[in-house]
Amino acid sequence: METIVCIVQTEGDGSLAKAALEAVACAKELAAGLTAQFAVGLLGETVQPGADALANCGASAFFAVSGAAFAQARYATDAAAVTALAKAAGATIVLGAATSRLARVMPGAATRLGGVSDASVTAVAAAGGKPVVTRWYYRQRMFAELTRDARPWVVTIAPGCFAAYAGAGGSAAVTGVTPELAAGGARTTVTRIISPSGEQQTIRPDAKLLFVAGAGWTKKQSDGAAHAGEAEKLILNFLNKSKASLGTSKSLIDLSGEGQQVMSFLTHMHQVGQTGATPRHPKGLATCCHGEEPHVVGWRFIGERRAVNLDANCGWAQGKADVLYVADAFKVMAKVIELMG
Amino acid sequence: MTDTERASMDADIVCVGFGPAMGGFLTTLTRGLVAEDGSLLAESKVMPGAPPQIICYERADDTCFGVSGVVSRARAITASFPDFDPAQVPMAAKVAQEKVVYLLDPRGASRRQGVLRFKDTLLRAAGPLLPAGGEDAVELPYIPPFLRKEPGYVFSIGQFNQWVGAQVMGTGLAQIWPAMPAAGALIEDGKVVGVRLADQGVDKKGNPEAAYMPGMDIKAALTVVGDGPAGPVGRGLDQALGLPPGNFQYDWALGMKMVVDLPSSCDLPEGFVLHTFGYPEPDIFGFLYVLPGRVASLGVFVPSWLRAPARTGYRYLQHFITHPYLYKHLKGGRMRSWGAKSLLEAGRRGEPRLAGDGFARIGEGSGTTNVLTGSGVDEAWASGVLLAEGVLELYKADKPFTKENLDAAYVARRRASTLDQEARVAEKARDGFSQGFVQGLAGMTLTGFTKGKYNLSGRHRPPHENVPSIEEYYAGMIPAEEIKAVRARCEAAGESLHDALMDRAGWPKIEYDGQLLVSHQDALLLGGKVQAAPGYADHVAFVDRDTCNNCNTKICIEMCSGQAITTNPEGGVPLFDREKCVHCGACIWNCSKPRPRDRNRSNVDFNAGAGGLHSAEN
Amino acid sequence: MSDGYQIVVCGGIVPDPLQTLEPVHGPAGWGLKNELMLPAILDPWSGHALYEAANLAKAAAGSKVWLVSMGPKAKLQQVMMTVAQKAAFELIALDAPAGGFTEAGDVAAALAEAIEAIPGLDKSRLLLFGGWQSASRGAGATMQIVGEKLGVVDQFQGVDKLTIEDGGVLRVLERVEGGSYQESTVSGPPALFGWATGELPEPPNNPQVGMANMRLVMPALQKAKPVQLAQPAFGSVQLPCQKRETRIVKDTPVEAIAREIVDWINA
Repeated sequence: METIVCIVQTEGDGSLAKAALEAVACAKELAAGLTAQFAVGLLGETVQPGADALANCGASAFFAVSGAAFAQARYATDAAAVTALAKAAGATIVLGAATSRLARVMPGAATRLGGVSDASVTAVAAAGGKPVVTRWYYRQRMFAELTRDARPWVVTIAPGCFAAYAGAGGSAAVTGVTPELAAGGARTTVTRIISPSGEQQTIRPDAKLLFVAGAGWTKKQSDGAAHAGEAEKLILNFLNKSKASLGTSKSLIDLSGEGQQVMSFLTHMHQVGQTGATPRHPKGLATCCHGEEPHVVGWRFIGERRAVNLDANCGWAQGKADVLYVADAFKVMAKVIELMG
Repeated sequence: MTDTERASMDADIVCVGFGPAMGGFLTTLTRGLVAEDGSLLAESKVMPGAPPQIICYERADDTCFGVSGVVSRARAITASFPDFDPAQVPMAAKVAQEKVVYLLDPRGASRRQGVLRFKDTLLRAAGPLLPAGGEDAVELPYIPPFLRKEPGYVFSIGQFNQWVGAQVMGTGLAQIWPAMPAAGALIEDGKVVGVRLADQGVDKKGNPEAAYMPGMDIKAALTVVGDGPAGPVGRGLDQALGLPPGNFQYDWALGMKMVVDLPSSCDLPEGFVLHTFGYPEPDIFGFLYVLPGRVASLGVFVPSWLRAPARTGYRYLQHFITHPYLYKHLKGGRMRSWGAKSLLEAGRRGEPRLAGDGFARIGEGSGTTNVLTGSGVDEAWASGVLLAEGVLELYKADKPFTKENLDAAYVARRRASTLDQEARVAEKARDGFSQGFVQGLAGMTLTGFTKGKYNLSGRHRPPHENVPSIEEYYAGMIPAEEIKAVRARCEAAGESLHDALMDRAGWPKIEYDGQLLVSHQDALLLGGKVQAAPGYADHVAFVDRDTCNNCNTKICIEMCSGQAITTNPEGGVPLFDREKCVHCGACIWNCSKPRPRDRNRSNVDFNAGAGGLHSAEN
Repeated sequence: MSDGYQIVVCGGIVPDPLQTLEPVHGPAGWGLKNELMLPAILDPWSGHALYEAANLAKAAAGSKVWLVSMGPKAKLQQVMMTVAQKAAFELIALDAPAGGFTEAGDVAAALAEAIEAIPGLDKSRLLLFGGWQSASRGAGATMQIVGEKLGVVDQFQGVDKLTIEDGGVLRVLERVEGGSYQESTVSGPPALFGWATGELPEPPNNPQVGMANMRLVMPALQKAKPVQLAQPAFGSVQLPCQKRETRIVKDTPVEAIAREIVDWINA
C-alpha cells in the first residue's frame, strides 16, 4: 500500500501558486488510482493559509516545516525540510512541483531518504496497482513510461501538466515538523530576487501565447538592409500589447557571438529548443524561424501553433504548425500591433 | 597584434587533414614506430627521450568528416588490416551484387547529343527484350573488369575514418586534433618548416576582435599534407611551388549524396552496388549502395565538363532519386544524412609536387584518384601507407626529411607502386568527355580495355572556360528576351534563376514528401547539422568585386551545396554564410569567371575555415 | 583563497543535439539507435561549467580543475580531443554507457566515488561544478546526488554567474521562474554549482592547452574504471508522433493575415 505525500511550497504570504495546486491535483489523482492515501507537506515561512486552501482536497494529513529559516529557497534548509516531511508522512511516494525551488532539492532529498527520484514528470498513472510515470528524455525528443520498485520514490511534476486543484478552502489541522539541518547549518543566504522590470519582463510562464522570434528578424530584408532595431521595436511592442511570453532560437542568440546586429533584450533564458526551454503555453506564434529547434523541440508543449515565414516550403513549420502564413513578418506584425490598438 | 606574439610549438611530424590518406599514414607509421620487442624505432628530436611527437590537425569538429560512396575493392586497406571484419566498422558490408545501368530520360528534359537520342530511341523500341527494359533504363549485361568492385566493401567514409582515428589515437603515438583548421604551410627559404593554424577571435574579414588568438605556428621537421583537393594547405603549396610541368587540375566533380532509410518494400540486398549514367544529364553519374541495417548510400556526380551553366547539385540529386528505375526502390524511404564534396577528377595529371624539403603530399590532393575505376578512398589510403613506409625508412637510417631523401623514400616508392601504375593507365581515361558524353564513354571504354595504351584525346582548360553564358547555352531553346525577363523576375522575387530555367527547359517540379524529397534547406537541417564555431574569418572570398558585378551566370550560388553562398540583394558580389558551409569546395571550380591577374584560377578563394562536418554517416 | 580552489567538474558526453535521435531496445536495455556512430560532444551545460571552472581557476591562484567524465572509453577519447583544447584540466575517466536512460543515482554514486579518490582532495577547498541538467537524461538530479554523497549541502542550480568577493564569499545567480534570478551568497567552499549557460563564450581551441592536457588525458583514459549502471523499469520509450495538418496561407494581403492572427490570439 502506497503512502503519498505531496510537497507544496508556500509563497511569501502563505498562499499556494498554480504549480503547487497542480501537484496537489496530481497527488489526488494518483492516490485515487492506487486507492492510497495522500498527505500534504507544506514548506515555507507561513503555511497555514496554504493548508487551509487545501483543507478539502482529500488529504489524510497536513505536515509543515515553517518559520523564517524556510522563507528562503535554499538547498540546505529545503532538502532537510523535504526529507523531514516525507519521513513524517511515512511516504513511499513523494510528489512535488518542478519549480525552481523544489527541483533544486528533491533528488537530494531522495538520496537522504535512501530512495530514488524522477524529475519533470509530465503524466502519472496507476497501472495494475502500480504507479507509472511519463517523462521526456534527450531534451524533449522522446518520452518514456517507467515504473520503479524502490521506495521512497521522489517525483517532481512539470508545471502545466495537471489542472490546478481548485476546491473550496477551509480549516486544516497542520502538524509541525522540525527538520534536522546538516552539520554546519545554513551557510547560504538568499540576498534578493532580481527580476526584469517593465518592458524587460518578456518571459511570462503563465502567458496564453508564446511568441518565438527567429534569426530571420536580424537578416537582411528585401531592401538589402538588416533592420534589427525595427524588429526589436516591433517585438517589444507586440509583447507589451499581447502580454505574450518571448522565446527565441539558438541561432538568434548565437548571433551575438558573431558580432552581428542582435536584439538587446534577448538572453539565453529566452532560448527555446535543444539547449533552451520547452515552455508550456496554450498557443504559440513563430516568426522568422527556420529549423528544427523552435518548431519541434521548442514547441513540444505548445497547444495551437502558427508560424509566419517567407518560405512556403519550410519543412519545419509544415507538419508542426497548424497554420503557416507565407508573408513578411515585419509587415504582418506591424499590422497586428495596429489592429490590437 | 604583431607576429612576434604569435605562439609557436614544435613537433616532429605535423599532419593536416584527417581522411583516408592520413588514416593510412598514421596507422602504418604508429605501428612501424614500435619494434617487435616494444622498443621505439626513433625518438623525438623536439622532446628527447619521448617518442616522435606526431600531431594531426583536422578542420572538422570530429574525426568522422568525409563524404563518399564508398564502394571499394579496399586492397590497400585490407593489406593494412588483413583480418578486416566489416562488422567492426558501423555501416560497412561486403559487396554482394553489382549492376551498371544506363538511365534513359523519362522527362525529355536532359541535353542529349543527337547520336544519343537515336540510341535512346532504339533502346526504347527494343525495351521489352532488354534487361530492365520498359522502365526507362537498361541494365548492362556485362560489367567491364576495370569497373568491378567485387570483391570489395561498401561503407561510410565518416564511420571508417572514426574507426581508424580511434585506433590511431589508442596507440598513444599520434594525436588527432579536430576542430583545428590549418591556414597554410610555413615556408622558409623554399623549405616547409611546419604549418600555421587559422587565427581565432577574428571577424568575418579576419580582423582581430576582443578574443583574438593568432593561429599558432606548429614547426616540424616533416609536414604531411592530406587536406584534400579543397584544402588550403595543399592548394597554398600548389600556388607557392607550382604544379610539375604538364600537370593541371582542371577536372572536378561535385559528389552529392544522401544516406537513406530504405522503405520496407525495398528488397535490394545488403551489399548491393548500383552505378548509373545517362540521367539526369547524360554525363551525371549516379550510385546507390545498400549498407547494413536497410540503409542506402546514394548520390550523383556533377562534373566540371557538364557545360550547363544552370546546374544545381541538389536538384539533379532529386531528379536522380525520382527516376522510375530508382524510385521504385526508394519511394517511402527517409533521408537521414546528406552531404557533398568536390572530387578532383584530374587524377594523376593533377598530381602536385609530391615531396619537397620538409613536406610530403598524400591523398586526393596529391592526385591519387583513379579516374578510370572511379575509385579514390583506397588509393588515398595507399598513398598514406607508402609515405609512412618511407618515413619509417628515413627514421631507421636517421636521415633528415629533405627533398632528396623524401624523393628516394616516398616518391620512388609511389612510382613503383600499383597505385601509380594504375593511375598511369587511367590518366587519359576521361579526356573524351571534353568532346561530349558519347565520346567520353567511348574514351573510357577504350582506355579500360587497352589498359591505357589507347585513349581518346581531349581539350584541357580550366573549368570556368568550359561554361558558356546562360544565353549561349539555351540558344534555340529559350529566347534571350525571355531569359532576360525570367532573370528580372527571379531577382525581384529573390528566387533561383537556375531553377526557373530548368523548369522552363522541361524539368518537372519535385513533389516534396517531407521525408526523402524535401527542400534543399530542409535537407541541410534534416541530413545533419549546419554550424561552425564562431570566431573564424569567412573562408570563402570573392577575389575581384568587378568580376562578380559583371557576372550574371553565378553558378557559385546554385552549386553551393550548403546554400551558404546566396544572392546579394544589393547585386554584385554574392553573400557568404560561413555557418552553412559544408566545405564541399564546389565554389572553387563552379565560378565561371577567371580572376583578373591569374586567368588560370577562378574568382573564388577557398581558405582555412572551421566546421563543415555535416553528418558522421556520409 | 590563499591555496586556491579544487574545482571538480562533472561532465558526461551526449550525442550532438542536432543529430536525429531514435530510441532502441537492446540487450543492455534502452539506448539510442546507432549510439556509437553519432558524433558526441561534452554535455553542453557541463561544457559551460568547465569553461567557468577554468576561468575561475585562472583568477584564483593555486586552483586546479579536474574533469570527471563518464562515457564509453572510445567516445570519451574522441570528445576529449576537442574539449582538451579549450581549457586546462586533469581528466578522470569512467568507462560506462553515456546514454540518458541510465539511473542518475548510479551515475552520481560512481562520480562521487571517483571524486573521493582524487589524491589530496580537500573538501574545504572543493567547488563541485556540473551542468544543471544533462542533454540526455535531463533530470537535473545527478549533481544534487553527487553533492549529497560528498556531504556538500550548499548547492545551486541553473547558475549563470559566480563571483568571488572579498573574504572569499561566493555570490551566485541562479535562474528561477519568469526570467528572474535568485541571488545568494555562501561563505566559501565546499559548494556545488549546477551551471546553466553562464556568461563566458566558448573558449577558442588552443593547441598548447591541448598538448598539455593530453599528457594526462591518455593515461586517464587507459585507467578508466568500468562502471555498471542500471536502468529504471521502462514500459516504453517512444518518439512523439505529432504530425499536424498545416494550412498554408499565401498570396494573402498582410491585413487579412494580421486580422486572422489577432482574432486567433484573442479567441
